[in-house]
Amino acid sequence: MRSADRVTAALLLAFAVAFSVGALKSYQWWGSGGPGPAFMPFWLGLVMAILALMMLIKSLKEKNAGAAWLPRGEGLRDMLVVLAATVAFVALLNVTGMIIGTALYLAVLIRYLGRHPWWMTLAIALAAAGFNWLVFVHWLRVPMPEGMLWIF
Amino acid sequence: MDFLTHLGMGFGVALTPFNVLMAVGGVLVGILIGALPGVGPPSGVAMLLPLTFGMDPTSGIIMLAALYAGTMYGGTITAVLINTPGESASVVTCLDGYQMALQGRAGAALGIAAIGSFIAGTIGVVLLMLVSPLLARWSLSFGPPETFALMLLGLTTVTLLAGDDPLKGYISMVFGLMLAMVGFDIISGDARFGFGIVEMMDGVDFLPAAIGLFGLGEVLAGAEQKGGAVLKTSLKLRDVLPSYADWVRSRWAIARGTAMGFLVGVLPGAGPTVAAFLAYTVVMKVSKEPEKFGKGEIRGVAAPESANNAAATAAMVPMLTLGIPGSATTAIMLGGLMMWGLRPGPMLFEKNPQFVWGLIASQYIANIMLLILSTLFIPLFVRAVRIPYSILMPLIVVFCVTGAYSLKNNLWDVGQMLVFGVVGYLMKKLGYSPAALVLALVLGPLAERALRQSLIISDAGVGIFFMRPISGPLMALALLAVAVPVVRAFLRK
Repeated sequence: MRSADRVTAALLLAFAVAFSVGALKSYQWWGSGGPGPAFMPFWLGLVMAILALMMLIKSLKEKNAGAAWLPRGEGLRDMLVVLAATVAFVALLNVTGMIIGTALYLAVLIRYLGRHPWWMTLAIALAAAGFNWLVFVHWLRVPMPEGMLWIF
Repeated sequence: MDFLTHLGMGFGVALTPFNVLMAVGGVLVGILIGALPGVGPPSGVAMLLPLTFGMDPTSGIIMLAALYAGTMYGGTITAVLINTPGESASVVTCLDGYQMALQGRAGAALGIAAIGSFIAGTIGVVLLMLVSPLLARWSLSFGPPETFALMLLGLTTVTLLAGDDPLKGYISMVFGLMLAMVGFDIISGDARFGFGIVEMMDGVDFLPAAIGLFGLGEVLAGAEQKGGAVLKTSLKLRDVLPSYADWVRSRWAIARGTAMGFLVGVLPGAGPTVAAFLAYTVVMKVSKEPEKFGKGEIRGVAAPESANNAAATAAMVPMLTLGIPGSATTAIMLGGLMMWGLRPGPMLFEKNPQFVWGLIASQYIANIMLLILSTLFIPLFVRAVRIPYSILMPLIVVFCVTGAYSLKNNLWDVGQMLVFGVVGYLMKKLGYSPAALVLALVLGPLAERALRQSLIISDAGVGIFFMRPISGPLMALALLAVAVPVVRAFLRK
């Protein structure tokens, strides 16, 4: 946790300075009769810089390294698999379409995480995809990504 | 009395079949969401908000308010049965609720929680009905300096109460305000921090952010702890109705919980979680036998459960009358109001009486539904608690993705949701406060406008915030909220 705090504080400090300087450079500080668009971003960046500096000093003084904040082993793997599967699901939405994509995503992830029997996995995936279609496509008329198959 | 006419009109709106259906559905889904560990009220409201866009705003808010009340009760089920709070307002309920379950009195614990919630919720609505119009009338005199001071107070108190480390709380809040600066500036029309990307010029939308931070973020945090999935509880729910002795024992705890819950809930920044903690402590302190608390004392369940329902209702007061949300959940509802084109604040009561009074009347109905559903369907909800995480999590993600997409029918929002999901996971892991971030994201543009208008009025003098009779004390309180953690840290050394 200590080293994570140091890194975050340093990143936030850099971000805050860039934010304030960027605001002053690109936008007007004072407009017609009142504060311009750069006014509030500048002050927010300044406050953030102070807060980040406080945290940096606090974490540098901290003697205790603290507990690890990232999970290890199986926990980390499961978290990364869920994240990767979700990113793939979203990235492929224009290829698979929302409904088929949903069914595929659920089938893969439920099977991986729970090792439930295939019939159960597929039943849940299809039921959820069907529910999604019913509510969003049929009732709410949301134009979902259709995918290459032009079905939904 | 014109107040009775308003209430009559409210019931006229709330009792239409569709709106009753929305209230029932909201309570039902709310209890389920509250009962699922890891999915709290803010994620529930954020995920269901896109569903309401096809509806009339009144029906939408009726559903969301009923859902909020339902989650407060749903969290109790997991707290009592598996010693895991379904949402943060039920953390204290674990102390005595789980002990009662171990002693075979899970039914009585859930029963008294249901009755306490009903009483507290109903009294809460009566107070909401009486207090809101007065507050709305008073706040009509608010100018930009008062609005700004009030927002600052809301932001600082939420941050103060949000987590263990106030410094990280303030960082989360200021980060949220910085994100709120992205996009078109309302006064000058500049597209700030757009980097030439069209979608960026629209700014950071609070809803994909909230869905990501609370929905996806929670799922990712839950994915690494598989252990919690196995639930072993033997329970007999034949006696969900508490005995006469139980009722006599806990009636004053319910009364105290209700009073404390409402008072705490009305304050900007302090929501149901704080109310539950405070009610538990007070009831234990005034009790003649405090040693029984923590060992299955029914009053230790009745007090916090009444308090969190009263507070959830009371949180509507500042949201509707002042446009200042008291918690992450009401912040998301407030965002919803603005998306429906309603302007929360004093004018809401004059311009949209149908909406306000329909909502108030529907809260009565939601409370009755909550009592009926929570006693009749307890076995069903108990089964929902047993759904394994491995099935639940992917379903929640799918709901997050579809919800974020259906907002404006574009994938940019889904991408935003994903990014905020990762941010939410990291924030949770590193001890930051997603609630403070969301609140700041919603209030940011409003606060900036109020600040700039004030400075135009005062010709750039800061004194305007401190000299005026209402904004002065508010600013003082806000500064106090910033000073408290600093002083506390100083004294510790």
